[in-house]
Amino acid sequence: MTDEEEALLVEQVASAYRPTARAHEELRYHPAWHDLSEAARERAFARGRALRTLESTIDPDGLSAAARAILARIP
Amino acid sequence: MDLDVHLSAIVHGDKVSFARWLTSAERPVRDSLRSFARVIDVEAVLQEALLRVWQVAPRFESDGRPNGLLRLGVRIARNLAVSEVRRTRATPTDHEDLEALVEHATPSAPDPILRQAIEACRDKLPAKPRQALDARLASGGGHDDTELATSLGMKLNTFLQNFTRARQLLAECLKKGGVVLDEELGA
Repeated sequence: MTDEEEALLVEQVASAYRPTARAHEELRYHPAWHDLSEAARERAFARGRALRTLESTIDPDGLSAAARAILARIP
Repeated sequence: MDLDVHLSAIVHGDKVSFARWLTSAERPVRDSLRSFARVIDVEAVLQEALLRVWQVAPRFESDGRPNGLLRLGVRIARNLAVSEVRRTRATPTDHEDLEALVEHATPSAPDPILRQAIEACRDKLPAKPRQALDARLASGGGHDDTELATSLGMKLNTFLQNFTRARQLLAECLKKGGVVLDEELGA
């Protein structure tokens, strides 16, 4: 995998999107997370943290995309 | 600020109060999982843990100390992370002092001036990067990047390249105005 390819995977994993867990699963990882090196996973964590800050700052209710994803799962 | 000001309403099923609690609780719970980032998908664990806080909140009993629900959230997240580590047989790095992390957590509040600065910089973005950024923001974590790319008529890699450019240009613009939201935003 080239550095550029890995950078694009980090960008995906840093998003707040996570697939819905199936009936027998507790939770589901982002599919691209499994393809990342340990160092890239740490970058994805840091990037995600930065993006959640951006999202919550610009959101009228102060909610990040992660918070919105959580609230969307509440009936 | 004690986030338990929202507790009574949350216990009674008030989703709006839970949303207000989330605006300040998400960051410290996320930071409590930092040491697991190499071995588990922290975003997935974090979202599941915070959902469980909502689910168990009606049975929560305060110990009288501030931020009880936040401390519960950190414990749930930590336990779920440890469970994931066992399931995947991974080895996390050293854990931080979780109680101290909660004690030093600074609840965040919306900052309208900062928001205006971001919006001004967002308005200066080129069209394609702006579209990619706006699509991510509007999706609220509800759609994967392939769906977002398709909705904009872009290939996935093109979408991601545009999003990366938007993120970096936004950070650069903010920095020129003396604002560093997070160093990683411009990386």
